[in-house]
Amino acid sequence: MSTAGLSIPFKAEFDVNSQEFSLSGVVRPRSIDEIAVNISMLKEAIDQVRGVLYINVKRLVQMNNTAFHAFARVVLDACQAKPDIRFVIVTSSVVGWTTRMFGHLNKIEPQITIEVYDSKFYPGQSFVENTSFISILRTQTKMTWRHERTILPRHGMRSGITMADICCGIGDFVVLVQKEFQPARIVALDHSKASLAYARDVAAGFGITDIEYTYGDASEMLLEDNQFDFVSCRHSLQIFNRPDALLAELYRICKPGGRVYITNEKNSHCLGEPRSQSIQWTYNEVAKLFSHFEMDVELGPKSRRYLADAGFEDIVVESFMVTNLDGDAQDFADVIAAWENVYAGEMSVKRGDSSEFIQRFRQGFQDHILAALHPKGYAGWPIWVASGRKPR
Amino acid sequence: MDVAEKAPVEATFEPLVQIEMEMETFLSNWHHCDQLSTFIARIISHNRTDPVRHANFFSSALNELLEVSFRGGSPDGQIGCAVYRHGRTERVKLTFPCLSRQRQFFSEAVSNTRREDALTHYLDSISTGLTPSRDVVFLDLAINFDAQIRLENSAPPSITLVVDLPLEGVVS
Repeated sequence: MSTAGLSIPFKAEFDVNSQEFSLSGVVRPRSIDEIAVNISMLKEAIDQVRGVLYINVKRLVQMNNTAFHAFARVVLDACQAKPDIRFVIVTSSVVGWTTRMFGHLNKIEPQITIEVYDSKFYPGQSFVENTSFISILRTQTKMTWRHERTILPRHGMRSGITMADICCGIGDFVVLVQKEFQPARIVALDHSKASLAYARDVAAGFGITDIEYTYGDASEMLLEDNQFDFVSCRHSLQIFNRPDALLAELYRICKPGGRVYITNEKNSHCLGEPRSQSIQWTYNEVAKLFSHFEMDVELGPKSRRYLADAGFEDIVVESFMVTNLDGDAQDFADVIAAWENVYAGEMSVKRGDSSEFIQRFRQGFQDHILAALHPKGYAGWPIWVASGRKPR
Repeated sequence: MDVAEKAPVEATFEPLVQIEMEMETFLSNWHHCDQLSTFIARIISHNRTDPVRHANFFSSALNELLEVSFRGGSPDGQIGCAVYRHGRTERVKLTFPCLSRQRQFFSEAVSNTRREDALTHYLDSISTGLTPSRDVVFLDLAINFDAQIRLENSAPPSITLVVDLPLEGVVS
């Protein structure tokens, strides 16, 4: 039996500035002697902090009872010895057993509280998790797929590979990939349970049983290192407030020699004729609006730099324009109408914009729709595709 | 026999995977517990709703059982680990040789998981012991993994732990 590399290495770290002690990886010692150094580190951390010590176990993949009792013992003893210190244990909703196991500590010592890490790394996710947005996401994928099906082979997509689609959303992209390219294995991960439930229903409806949909946090994945020939992450780096952290995870799970494939937009380059000035003003404002919520929808052309900084080689970048002439112009118009609803109807309101601003903001979307449906009009939505190879 | 005394009808569990190993070999390396639990979890979880997270949960539970057998087992004979499935539940049957005094310990530890004060007992043990007793490991499985644990008759010196893990419901 070959099990080499199955376990993720255990790591304990203390950051005095954030007063955070972090445990990650797999820790299954036979005796506490094996983790004595880490136990000492925790004791020293407790001695150094004032007020609150955060114990981060979000990336703790496995911990046996031997290790759990040893670490718990230290914290429980500290509660007695230092009643002025609070302990906040930060668990992940992805690794459910940690929340159950560490949650008991609060029943023993009220000084210990448990915080389940949630979607705070995804400030934009709540805007698109609404199930009413799902049909629009499907239409978007239909529109981009016309281009990507011919682009993907240039970035390493081929039959028989193992692939992961990170931030898969409603999972329609992997269904199309499976039909067109027949990868040997597909794992599709997202942090929205509603989207995954929809994805599983769609897959079941098509009789597709071999896509592994999994709930997970793209920046803290349970997936092991060096697993996949092809890792896709579409339209997600741009709505993630730490794209470099996400890219580092994509790099980690990609096999040496495999490729990471990302797509992103540059919203200010959305265009249309007639009424180009109104359209351009609105999409410039879209970029500023997303920036307010820590998202960079101008990221597309920056993909090359991000991939290079993350350590990829043989970087390939290209762009394509989804237009009203690709297929059904009404599809294009429906997508713009949905953007208007979310951007002008929710996000702009949340930012506290004036009604005058919102009215002008909406006008640009409506002009973009007019351009899409106009018999002589032209409307475009540009997308940047980039991929890089992980060095062997 | 009175109707009320009849044993409940046993659900049909379908076999998924079975591994056997010389106990002496198993005991030669502590990491066998981690490796076997990770390996088996991955195999049996592939067609669960969320394979990655199911494997993570299942591996946690199975590793604790294997560690129990590692600490309490004796080197003569074989260890056998079989996994079955019925609906949303996986059943682990773990058979391994152990000394007779260990049999009594396992019997008591398993019955403790069904006590009404199991949670209190579990919390007491976390707050008092530096290292967990094997007794607590069973409580952990019952409380944190919703496991139902029993002992099955097997020919001495072997013992068979039967652990039902309804993890599909917990994970999804």
